Amino acid sequence: MNVSGERTFAAPRTAVWKVLNDPAAMAKTMPGVQSFDVHDAARWTANVKIPLGLGGLKMQIDMNKTEEREPEFAKLQIKGKGVGAMLNMETSFELSDADGGTAMKWAAEVKLAGPVGSMGQRVLQPIVNQQVEHVLSALDREVQAAVAGGS
Amino acid sequence: MTSTTITPERVESDAPEATQKGQSVPRKEDRRLVQGEGVFIDDVKRHGMGYIHFVRSPYAHAHITSIDVSKAEALPGVYGTLTGEEVASLTEPFFQLAKAPASNLQDYALAVGKVRYVGESIVAVVAETRELARDASELVEIEYDPIAPIVDARMAQGDAPVLHDEAGTNVMWEGSFEWGDLDAAFAEADKVIKIDELHFHRFNSTPLETDGALAEYNRGTGQWTVHCNNQFPGFAAIMMGPALRCGLDKLRFVTQDIGGGFGNKITTHPQLVVCCLLARKLRRPVQWTEWRTDFHMSMSHANERWFLDTEVAVKNDGTLLGFRTKALDDTGAWLRYEPLGCIIWSQVAPGMYRWRNIRVDFTQVATNKAPCSPNRGYSRMQHLWFTERVIDIVAHELDLDPVEVRKLNYVRSDEMPYETPNGCVYDSGDYARMLDIGLELVDYANIDARRADAKARGKLLGLGIGSTLDSGTNNFAQSQLINSDLQFSGNNEVATVKLDIFGEIVVTLGTVPQGQGHETPTSQVVSDILGCSVDDVQVRAGHDSYWNSHAGFSGTYASQFAVTGLGAVKGAADMLASQIKRLGSAVLGAPIEALELAEGSVRIKDNPEVALPFMACGAIINANNAGLPDDLEDVTLNCRYVYKPSFQVPDLERNFGNLTLTYATQIHVAVIEVDPETGYYDIVDYAAVDDCGKRINPRIVEGQVMGATALALGAATWEIYAYDEDGNLLTPNFYDYHVPHALDMPPLKTADIESPSPFTPLGTKGMGEGGGAGIHAICAAVQDALRGNGDAIVSDSHNPYHKVWELLEHPAEAGGHVSVVNA
Repeated sequence: MNVSGERTFAAPRTAVWKVLNDPAAMAKTMPGVQSFDVHDAARWTANVKIPLGLGGLKMQIDMNKTEEREPEFAKLQIKGKGVGAMLNMETSFELSDADGGTAMKWAAEVKLAGPVGSMGQRVLQPIVNQQVEHVLSALDREVQAAVAGGS
Repeated sequence: MTSTTITPERVESDAPEATQKGQSVPRKEDRRLVQGEGVFIDDVKRHGMGYIHFVRSPYAHAHITSIDVSKAEALPGVYGTLTGEEVASLTEPFFQLAKAPASNLQDYALAVGKVRYVGESIVAVVAETRELARDASELVEIEYDPIAPIVDARMAQGDAPVLHDEAGTNVMWEGSFEWGDLDAAFAEADKVIKIDELHFHRFNSTPLETDGALAEYNRGTGQWTVHCNNQFPGFAAIMMGPALRCGLDKLRFVTQDIGGGFGNKITTHPQLVVCCLLARKLRRPVQWTEWRTDFHMSMSHANERWFLDTEVAVKNDGTLLGFRTKALDDTGAWLRYEPLGCIIWSQVAPGMYRWRNIRVDFTQVATNKAPCSPNRGYSRMQHLWFTERVIDIVAHELDLDPVEVRKLNYVRSDEMPYETPNGCVYDSGDYARMLDIGLELVDYANIDARRADAKARGKLLGLGIGSTLDSGTNNFAQSQLINSDLQFSGNNEVATVKLDIFGEIVVTLGTVPQGQGHETPTSQVVSDILGCSVDDVQVRAGHDSYWNSHAGFSGTYASQFAVTGLGAVKGAADMLASQIKRLGSAVLGAPIEALELAEGSVRIKDNPEVALPFMACGAIINANNAGLPDDLEDVTLNCRYVYKPSFQVPDLERNFGNLTLTYATQIHVAVIEVDPETGYYDIVDYAAVDDCGKRINPRIVEGQVMGATALALGAATWEIYAYDEDGNLLTPNFYDYHVPHALDMPPLKTADIESPSPFTPLGTKGMGEGGGAGIHAICAAVQDALRGNGDAIVSDSHNPYHKVWELLEHPAEAGGHVSVVNA
């Protein structure tokens, strides 16, 4: 499943970049994060419980930043495994200045295997869209908090 | 007039003068089944047994980088595990029917090093309860390195990832078949119809009972007893013995009641090997009952097939001269019974039609989907659907009546027995007459008025015809046409009939009934020969290889019981009848010619009061045999007969020869009404006409026709194993894979004719696999309904409502692409 979009933040690009690369800040944007471990600047692990309607899906998610051009582009390889699902995702975002703020283009290729994967796109797509919206809204809040905290 | 009564204890027919054959005797096995007293595999229990749960692959294609079962094994109540590495050390890879390079496949009972489809078994966990085994399986830690999957057979060649490095290619079998003179046929043609692509989708039959087994290992004798619901133990044995490194005497197969098989239950040998290994390893009986989702994900789907670049040579009047096509078969990840499907289709190469010039370039490829194996109508269903689709497309393109095109081209009754271009022999039948009966049942004479009436109500009415040639009793020599090194040929089946000490008539079968009701027609045949009532015949339920009533091809599959099974029963009963008469002759002092078997005794025809009851016969031979004449030394009243149809090995150079003994026929006619706004359609009229030769029990035949129709309508509208691009099965449960139930079925009108087979002992033909007729009847009805409403060509066997809507809205994109060339 491929998902992509664009979002504008009322914040300078460096502030957005900083949040996007701060594991602690990002942890707050992700749905159902129960714990978060930072191994080094490029590798993080999160234990999450993704709300999927029927009790949620527990997963251990390993993130590995595979490419980075500060402060405009990064690509992450994400692998998750849990009972009933295996997740493979490659996601990237690209930041640019826009009207005093920052525009972020993002894209993700999501591959789900296991019984959850069998639910198929017709079921998963709306859930993914909903979760992405939650993440982006939370990200916006984190960016604003970072800007406010830094000013 | 014959009437039948049923008492709580006995099934009796008061038709003393008539033969029992041909009567709708109520099924003897139904009493225990409807009372819940059947014994299915999950009913078999043993003290201290463990329950198996399989850990299955979530990936369609991946290397297995590590497996850790320690946490699962440490869980209290878990008896142990089995991994692919253990299987690889304890067994040999399963024997492959394919020729090189596919013969190099290393197929083990559990995945070794790599997984090739979602749902493939990797580890087996055994625990004291089924639920605990399932929970423990979640503690098995497996690391994967995913590989790009192949889910579209059309993309399986070229640069595609290879599933089996040992083979070095995804092409599992390929070969060309050509019969007749294609060049002459196309030169003679007025028109050539070109069809870019036709697609027969992937689905399956759905048995009420999933697969299962209980395996015990006797350490003293080294013998396994496998209580199971495998429907072809003869095949399972020849797969399992070499794999387990044991002789077939070490494998005892036992079945009783089986809740449907449809061919799916032929290829459970990998799971049965796992059961055997675990029973030996854990020193306890182990039981496996497959979960329904596991059945959907991993158990023997039916072959998906494309027909590419088809060209049909026709005369302007619709006379069919020849066709050529490229068949591309998707067999899934393993060859569990394949590549036999690459030849089975040719049992019906010209369908029901008088095509004399045929070329099929056949390629079978492996993909990252569940392995295929026989399914009701195995391999012929796909090909027959193709021939039927061609008929309707030809009629559509030439603006001819599909009914008339069929009648013009049907093999005629006066041509029977009819030799097809590839040497198969259609034994008997009258297709045109069957079609007329079907059309009459749906009031075809008034179809135009009904079409107008539907239109007035805003609906599009369509009529479609489909047919099935249900070829039965395989000549297994056809396997040599796909691999000349194989040493299989002919066919056989076994039955024993004996007269026991107190006069009990006891029959054991080599067949493996799965709901077909073998006990009843068997009793009918025996009762006619021995002159007793149906209820006097005791047929052992199920199959047991300890009975010594089995042979290499024993089983129930491929429409053959009425020929091979009953042929064996007849042979054994005839032998017993002969022995009883010889005994009667000695005891009664009358010549054999003067004796008859009637009313449970051997008696003098002209003086029926001089009779020796069967009870006395049984007692004399079995328990009171001193002083019998020497010439009765061979009279045991325990007769074993092996029925073998007369077959020859085909000409391997020409792909020519008789591949099967009988050809039952079904013609279905469907009338549907389509809602043009939504694509939803109702089946408003439906007729199924059957000809299976001499019917032993018409009611059982009727049930088979209805069941096959349900299979067809499910496949045509709802049932599909759909995969996404990552190889996830999107329809792994009954929520997404809708099997029609009673309320989904239209009112069925059925009829029959009887064209006795000249080649079988009872004039019977195997039957039960007529479902393909219905799949095409719906396709043709949809296309007919769309005539004048976009004129889409239906090119897929699966036509759910949204697909019909697409055909209405976007006929060019959603329909097939066809062109007509003046020759």
